[in-house]
Amino acid sequence: MMKKIIISSLVAAPSLLNAGLVPMADQELQTVNAQAGITLETSSHLTVGDVTYTEDANRLQLQNIERGSQADISLPSSSKQVVDVLADGSLQINSEVYPTSLDIGAIRINDSAASFGQFRLNYSGTNLIKVGASSSLDNFLEGSFQTSISDAELIWTTNGSSVSFDDIGYNANITRLAIGEAVDGSRTGLNFDLDEFSYSFSTGGVKLGGVSLGTLAGQLALSGDAQIFAGGRDGAEGISLNASLSILDDPTNYVRFTDDGNSLFMGNFSGALNVTNLTFDVMSDHLLLGYDQLDGSFNANQILIGDSSNPVGAIQLDFLFKDGNGYSNRMAFYPGIRQPVYANLPVAIQPYATSFYSGLNSSSDGISAAVEWNLANAEAAYIDNGRMVVVSGIESYGRGDLTLDVRSFDHDNNAGTADKTAIAMGMNRVQGSYSIDGLRVGNKTAPIQGGAELLLSLEVFQAMDFNLDGYTLITAGGVSGGGIQIDGDYLFSDTNIGLSIDENGNGVWATGVNYDIHLRGIQVDVSNTGLSVNRTEQWSTMNVDNMRWGDKITGRSLGRIQLERFEEGSSLTINPGGSGAVCVGASGDAASCAANGGRWEDRGNEGMTVALKAAFAPEGLTSDGSIARNRLTWENNRDLDGSGNPINGTGTQIIFDSYSTSDGLGVADTNDYGFQANLKIDVYETKVAKKFTGADDNGIIGNQGDELIYDDASRTTYTYVANPTAAQLALRPQGFAVQGNVSFKDLQIDQVQLKHPDVALPQTVFSGIVMQNLNMTTNLTATPIR
Amino acid sequence: MKNVVVLVSILFVSIQTHGLEPLSAEDLSAVSGQGGVYLSGDITINENGGPLNIDGPSANGYSWQTSCTTASTDKRCGGRIAVNSGAGGGWLVLDNIRGRFSFEGLTLRTRKINSDFDGDGAAFNSDVFEIGLPNNLNYEDASFTIANSNSARPTDAGFMQTDIMTVNINGKANLQGNLLIFPTGAP
Repeated sequence: MMKKIIISSLVAAPSLLNAGLVPMADQELQTVNAQAGITLETSSHLTVGDVTYTEDANRLQLQNIERGSQADISLPSSSKQVVDVLADGSLQINSEVYPTSLDIGAIRINDSAASFGQFRLNYSGTNLIKVGASSSLDNFLEGSFQTSISDAELIWTTNGSSVSFDDIGYNANITRLAIGEAVDGSRTGLNFDLDEFSYSFSTGGVKLGGVSLGTLAGQLALSGDAQIFAGGRDGAEGISLNASLSILDDPTNYVRFTDDGNSLFMGNFSGALNVTNLTFDVMSDHLLLGYDQLDGSFNANQILIGDSSNPVGAIQLDFLFKDGNGYSNRMAFYPGIRQPVYANLPVAIQPYATSFYSGLNSSSDGISAAVEWNLANAEAAYIDNGRMVVVSGIESYGRGDLTLDVRSFDHDNNAGTADKTAIAMGMNRVQGSYSIDGLRVGNKTAPIQGGAELLLSLEVFQAMDFNLDGYTLITAGGVSGGGIQIDGDYLFSDTNIGLSIDENGNGVWATGVNYDIHLRGIQVDVSNTGLSVNRTEQWSTMNVDNMRWGDKITGRSLGRIQLERFEEGSSLTINPGGSGAVCVGASGDAASCAANGGRWEDRGNEGMTVALKAAFAPEGLTSDGSIARNRLTWENNRDLDGSGNPINGTGTQIIFDSYSTSDGLGVADTNDYGFQANLKIDVYETKVAKKFTGADDNGIIGNQGDELIYDDASRTTYTYVANPTAAQLALRPQGFAVQGNVSFKDLQIDQVQLKHPDVALPQTVFSGIVMQNLNMTTNLTATPIR
Repeated sequence: MKNVVVLVSILFVSIQTHGLEPLSAEDLSAVSGQGGVYLSGDITINENGGPLNIDGPSANGYSWQTSCTTASTDKRCGGRIAVNSGAGGGWLVLDNIRGRFSFEGLTLRTRKINSDFDGDGAAFNSDVFEIGLPNNLNYEDASFTIANSNSARPTDAGFMQTDIMTVNINGKANLQGNLLIFPTGAP
């Protein structure tokens, strides 16, 4: 059943520029020749009180719509349409829209107190539409479309603050669009065929409160088809859609974000997206979107971070979202900000949640969403100079509540300075889980192996069950020019983290994790060398109730571990390019490395370098007035509660208390250098030597010290070879090759203490440990064990 | 520290801990279906000095800044660790830490032991974190100096240090077997 759209009030003031014309005389008409079509020039100012889409008695309302001149929306805007019938009988409509503004004052559901916000589009543009008879009996009509929009601006406003996309340029060209009948079982609907849809866009700036975050541009070529049917997922009415979309394999496809002239760039990409039964319903207080299945792939062959001469490599992603594990793929969008029930939040995050929503009430504008997802499977591949590592068997499911609004924010916690406009994102009771089966190395069909521990250095864990509450404020402006600043408070509660686990989910688990993280002034910029994150201040406490061996519920526990961190002036940079050519195991160049006992490896120009600086601060006050420090505590022999669970704080503890870095003279000194860790990451062949003589896990026989060599490029079968040839060396196992460097000037631990539960204060074992002037370089190649 | 038992099972040196017997090569080969990581490479400490040698501070007559090469013998070029076991007492120092270690075949993985070990494995029936020792461990000019000092940093006022001995290691060590780490006792 189709829906009803009602325009409840309309005030239009069109003025035809050719009004007042008088009929032509027959003699005059005779003198007119070679004229065709109709030219219609209009100037109009339009106001509409309410446009309502009604479905199953629920109303989606677009209110206070106004269309007029861009200079003054209360004045008419102009447009021109030229309508022709061409020689082939097709209809052509050529439109030109002069600078115009379209404003939607509010979007509500069933007269909700809150709205999704106010939307305004300023634009001018041209359209060329040709519609003709169908070349196929399957279609009602066929046509081509060209749309160009220039100097446009899209503004979203909630509660008096706005985010805008300025200077939008947009070109879309659909060579062939055919509309016909779609049949799906007993349902009939409309079928849309889309051929060679080329699309490009650019923005002059993504702005918050008039300050630019950077510019965005892109171009891609698409083709696809879609079938639209009446009837949604709930009730008798609604809309459902099946669609297949291909991003054509075109080397000119790209997306680029530019900050101060430096870009994040992804180019030469292709992909496909298929969605089954995507539904849209208007419910009593929300819009419901859902789908039965979403699958697709995405391949990007060129990725640049800042330095355009140094590529990172390529990525390939395959994914399948499908209902399962008791979870569906659904999104419910509510107008306004739905605040959480604070008493239901973990105590540690309650004050931050209360503060985050303190200026809002039930009529505040914004978007709230209740989301649920089930990622049945995903495969993520990274390719470095032709060598592939696939993170295989990624699964995830969960649900939670989100809020999004634009607001004014005291970004520097100083009432004396002007507030900034911020995008505010809240996450409430997001409960989910993810896991990774393992790695495939060499190609996508290679046998799955363990080794996802290799991702730990990038803080990617093998598996995680989490409960997350978090509040993020994003403002414009990094360290220089564009960029963004992030301030946020987050709590992972009652969380389990798989650190090193096997295919059965057994291994080393951090369980009962409560991890609160507080970020202040995290500034993200793109520079000419890469992506930089300046971390002005952050503090956190990670409490692991039990570090378990074996099963995450019943495995033996090492005890409780608590890690407190406090950093000021830390940073992180991600740069393109890995280690290049290195001598592993010795010093020297290409000519001398082997003679010095090393192994020369040229790992190519692709890869990635992650540079971390952690400036550990002495115990002190944070910007929100709490006391923070760097401290590691290990506790065991705890008393048990009535349920047999250990009670934190009742056992014996060893405490590494208040460690901090400095520039060489201790805690009173500057702390510019901090603790630095640079990781240059490549995918490369690895020498794997047999550790003992005899048959291995797979029954392959070899002598101790023989090298594991694959039989061919499929990397499925292998033998052990005593002296591999040059061709065989290319068939060594592949894995991550990491050239790491760890250095610090001065790292001080104030004291190491032991605490027995029967004494009030801990007893000191070491009154101080001072480590200085360390510069440790590692060349490690790591491959999953077969 | 009784809570954690670190079991070193060296195939040539049998250490019996918690009733487990070391796995034979045949037993090791019977372990299947487990993940893990195989590591090879090198670790080099202060080959060309440390960050303090480049732009470190000077105080009380001591300057960290100096030019360091692989061949430098200036002890400022090495890393330094000072430990104080009692407030007001002296400091035990490992000074001038430098050198290179290279190895092949260090493995890290978790696995369940529920068989073998001369029958003890079935009774043990638990997961362990296994560090498979590398067959070859090469030392190249690995050295450090053991010393005592009266304060933590050479830049401290009145700093004095007495060097006791210097250790320098070159050569190759063959290591076989596994280091098994697992919890026991009350958590």
